[in-house]
Amino acid sequence: MTKKPGLSMYWASSCGGCEIALVNINEKILEVIDKFDFMFCPCLLDTKKKDIEALPDKSIEITLFNGAVRTEENAEMANLLRKKSKILIAFGSCSNDGCIPGLSNLYSAKDHFDTIYLNNPTVSNPGGIVPQRETEVPEGTLHLPEFYDTVRTLSQVVDVEYFIPGCPPESNQIWDVINSVIEGVKLPPKGSVIGAGTSTVCDECEKIKEDKKIDRFYRTYEIIPDTKKCLLEQGIICMGIATRAGCGSLCPKVNMPCSGCYGAPDGVLDQGAKMIAALGSILNLEGDLTEEEITGHTNKIMDSIPDYAGTFYKFSLAGSILKNSVRK
Amino acid sequence: MKIGVYFCKCGTNISDRIDPQKVMEEITKLKDVAYFETVDFLCAEEGKEFLEKDLKKKKPMRVVLGACSPRDHEKTFMNVLSKAAINPYLMQMVNIREHVAWVISDICKASDKASAYLKGAVARVQLHEPLKPEELNVCPDVLVIGAGPAGLKASLSLTEAGRKVVLVEKNPVIGGMPVRYEEIFPNMECGPCMLEPMLGDVLHGDNSENIELLTLSEVVEVAGYLGNFIVKIKQLPRYVNPKKCIGCRECIEPCPVSAKNEFNCSLDERKAISFAFSGGLPNFPFIDDKVCIRTKGENCRLCEDACIVDDAIIFDDKEKVIEKNVGAIIVAVGAELYDCSNLTNLGYGKLPNIYTSLEFERIIASNGPTEGEIQGFGKKGPRSIAIIHCAGSLDKNHIKYCSGTCCQSAFKFNQFISKKLPNTKIFHFFKEISVPGKETFQLYNKALNNPDSMFIRYRNINEIDVSIENGRLAIHYSFSSGKRCKSTADMIILCPPVIPSSDTAELGSILEIPADRYGFFEELHNRVDSIQSKLKGVYLTGSCQSPMDIQNAMNQGLAASGYILSGLPEGKKLEIEPIIASVDEERCSGCRVCNLVCPYKAIDFDEEKAKATTNSVLCQGCGTCVAACPAGAIKGNHFTVEELLAEIQGVLT
Ligand SMILES: Cc1cc2nc3c(=O)[nH]c(=O)nc-3n(C[C@H](O)[C@H](O)[C@H](O)COP(=O)(O)OP(=O)(O)OC[C@H]3O[C@@H](n4cnc5c(N)ncnc54)[C@H](O)[C@@H]3O)c2cc1C
Ligand code: SF4
Ligand code: SF4
Ligand code: SF4
Repeated sequence: MTKKPGLSMYWASSCGGCEIALVNINEKILEVIDKFDFMFCPCLLDTKKKDIEALPDKSIEITLFNGAVRTEENAEMANLLRKKSKILIAFGSCSNDGCIPGLSNLYSAKDHFDTIYLNNPTVSNPGGIVPQRETEVPEGTLHLPEFYDTVRTLSQVVDVEYFIPGCPPESNQIWDVINSVIEGVKLPPKGSVIGAGTSTVCDECEKIKEDKKIDRFYRTYEIIPDTKKCLLEQGIICMGIATRAGCGSLCPKVNMPCSGCYGAPDGVLDQGAKMIAALGSILNLEGDLTEEEITGHTNKIMDSIPDYAGTFYKFSLAGSILKNSVRK
Repeated sequence: MKIGVYFCKCGTNISDRIDPQKVMEEITKLKDVAYFETVDFLCAEEGKEFLEKDLKKKKPMRVVLGACSPRDHEKTFMNVLSKAAINPYLMQMVNIREHVAWVISDICKASDKASAYLKGAVARVQLHEPLKPEELNVCPDVLVIGAGPAGLKASLSLTEAGRKVVLVEKNPVIGGMPVRYEEIFPNMECGPCMLEPMLGDVLHGDNSENIELLTLSEVVEVAGYLGNFIVKIKQLPRYVNPKKCIGCRECIEPCPVSAKNEFNCSLDERKAISFAFSGGLPNFPFIDDKVCIRTKGENCRLCEDACIVDDAIIFDDKEKVIEKNVGAIIVAVGAELYDCSNLTNLGYGKLPNIYTSLEFERIIASNGPTEGEIQGFGKKGPRSIAIIHCAGSLDKNHIKYCSGTCCQSAFKFNQFISKKLPNTKIFHFFKEISVPGKETFQLYNKALNNPDSMFIRYRNINEIDVSIENGRLAIHYSFSSGKRCKSTADMIILCPPVIPSSDTAELGSILEIPADRYGFFEELHNRVDSIQSKLKGVYLTGSCQSPMDIQNAMNQGLAASGYILSGLPEGKKLEIEPIIASVDEERCSGCRVCNLVCPYKAIDFDEEKAKATTNSVLCQGCGTCVAACPAGAIKGNHFTVEELLAEIQGVLT
């Protein structure tokens, strides 16, 4: 029997949902194990870092790397797996674009520590203790990996072959990718997004789309939408227009707006900026308005959005052109 | 990639402030820059010659020019590139004169800034694609809006020259205002007879197959430009089949409902199915669905029952939107009269026997509501009729200008009245008399010499008071001395000024042509180019441009067709600038975000494919849709995301 190709999956700064999504391919996981040597997956298997270190370079066929790079340890694992893998895949929104961990880029590491360990109203920390890189204990020195000032995406740290987006990636898409590898389908050019579409969620969304002119935005609890019509047209900010297809428009299907987890579609550099440009194009500013009226009206409409970053960059801040807030 | 960079000194304009040597050192460090040339005057003949020769010799793959504003010379240098057999779009011009040399005095800073800009250009030019202008045959067909004298003349002369015309008329009949006049000044010809040959030519003349007449129609959308307009026309249902109807009028009588007849200034009524007035052409009726009781749910078929041919009445006729491609547009929608009820002192609309000039035209018309009879005054007619000129014109509270035709209609009425009612006295109340021209003066003379007419010059229209005294109309007025006086008449005819029609503003915004300060369509130049609007390819004729008589309206119609025949010759080609936007169907999700953003109406939505499309003829490459498309599906040639980003990165490195 020839040796099976190696498969590994690692979680950096992530929630674990990506692993669940993999397991959600259900009984097909048996086929995966049948075709691959599943070598490393801290969530599911007991192999250790030292086992990977012991492998020759490029001896893992495919690594699915989920999670953003928040800490020194994340970066170390990214580098290690890069070295040991032939094909390194950024798996899931965190490793693709930063996802929710990436939103923390609006603040510095110190801001986070201050909030989490000192200023949080539910925290009592009379000694003012915050994590330190090194701590002396009677047994010796304890080391903690560095908590970086900014969260980075996988490709901002190491070279990446492919990108599978989604928070988490849809199980059927994961299976399609794995299956095409099993079946020996020729892989797309390096740098491609796989396991997703090229257009946007609207392409998969069955809601009726008409010309858009928006008077105000609603948060989801403020409106009961017409379930047949495009949610965006009704004033619910649906990121579907600026989000890569691939999920099958799961959220709009159940009348919740797309929040953008599949990231930017092909040809869009910055999902949030693109979304804002698109919304700017469909605000209802008809009629003979003066400059001031246009500004006033636009401001009023924009004021109905409570959280710009959390709305437009929920999944993509770390990977965006902006990347993080300016730190003084 | 081999990139050639040229630095124009612009005499000393640029090189005094930017050190070419320093810039050269910076720029030649860049990997792809093969050479850097400094030229004294790139745009001078020697400069251009040098550039052409140098390009032919060195054969760069991309060219960067540091010089003046692209607005000045981009075209010049693109032409040189073409001559040197290099696609002209493989060039990037950087404005180091206005943007750098002229605004920065420190030579070091200026040189650094120029270098940064040139680096941006070097980075972006590598991504430039060779672009080719598309060639397009102009559409020689013409849209004429309004079938009055101006529009008819234009249509006929264009078709005589072999052109096709789409003639759009809002009313069910053609001919404009004059077909409703019994007689036409200055020579008192019969109105309908004078126009009948023209109307006949339009409907069934030698070239009539080249005139597509659309009655009950209005233009609702226009996109494009000279040589290629795309026009949407809304046509209301007529409910009568012109191919079947023989115009016998059998259907009218049985119709059980009627409404005011606007074609007779609401002086009488017409049925729900009716002819606008007798003799109106084309000679078949129309059903007014606002009046017909079928639209209120009743199943009346009395007109159909009375009709002697089969299928002439089509109850299920529908509103249509017709799309047409034309090369030029002639606007000939005419004008209307100032509303005399604004002059409350004159009693119009409140007191009996006070009419506007147009109403009087209908009263005296043999195809009008009273078949030409002035009724209510016995056989002899009224003892006296007062004609009030300048009823609202030359007045700062009403209309400031003089229409120039009202006096003439007033004198036309003078002749008509005296002919028809020899015993009736005629008072002309006037502020000014306006009768220029060889024929018109005769008209005035005739009125002056009429023993039954009397001329009274009033001081101010607002000082005239009309009331009823002893069953007759009493007119109190002031002479220029201020002295008050009174005259009595049985009937008053008000001659109000001609004002822009109520459709003018809306049509103007559809066509995107501006109005002048009075609301008439504004001409390109009042003396030199009064037939052209401010928009190339849209021409103004007749009283929608300015109040005028029929002679002038006809002349303008003819002039507009002259413009079109000379400026838009058949077979002429239009070159379409290749800097335009296009939709990548693979990426377009059909979200419709872009649908309304294009200021040139170049975006359409293909419902079948559920994809947006851009029209390369209409697109001006403004990039609005490129920014709007959230799917990144629209590419703006020459300003692609990649090119712009490379330029920014180039400047910043
Ligand atoms: C009371 C009176 C008497 C006059 N008597 C004389 C006279 O005796 N001799 C003389 O030389 N001049 C006379 N004139 C002037 C004459 O009426 C005008 O010169 C002439 O009507 C101008 O022709 P036109 O084609 O510009 O406009 P019109 O005759 O007004 O024709 C415009 C046409 O456009 C149509 N139209 C309007 N809006 C639209 C739209 N949105 N879409 C499509 N179609 C539209 C109208 O229905 C109409 O058929 C008189 C004017 C008045 C007011
Ligand atoms: S609801 Fe959202 S995903 Fe669906 S069409 Fe509208 S914007 Fe697109
Ligand atoms: S905005 Fe873009 S994706 Fe949406 S319909 Fe237009 S071209 Fe298609
Ligand atoms: S670039 Fe887009 S918005 Fe601009 S003219 Fe062309 S189609 Fe219209």
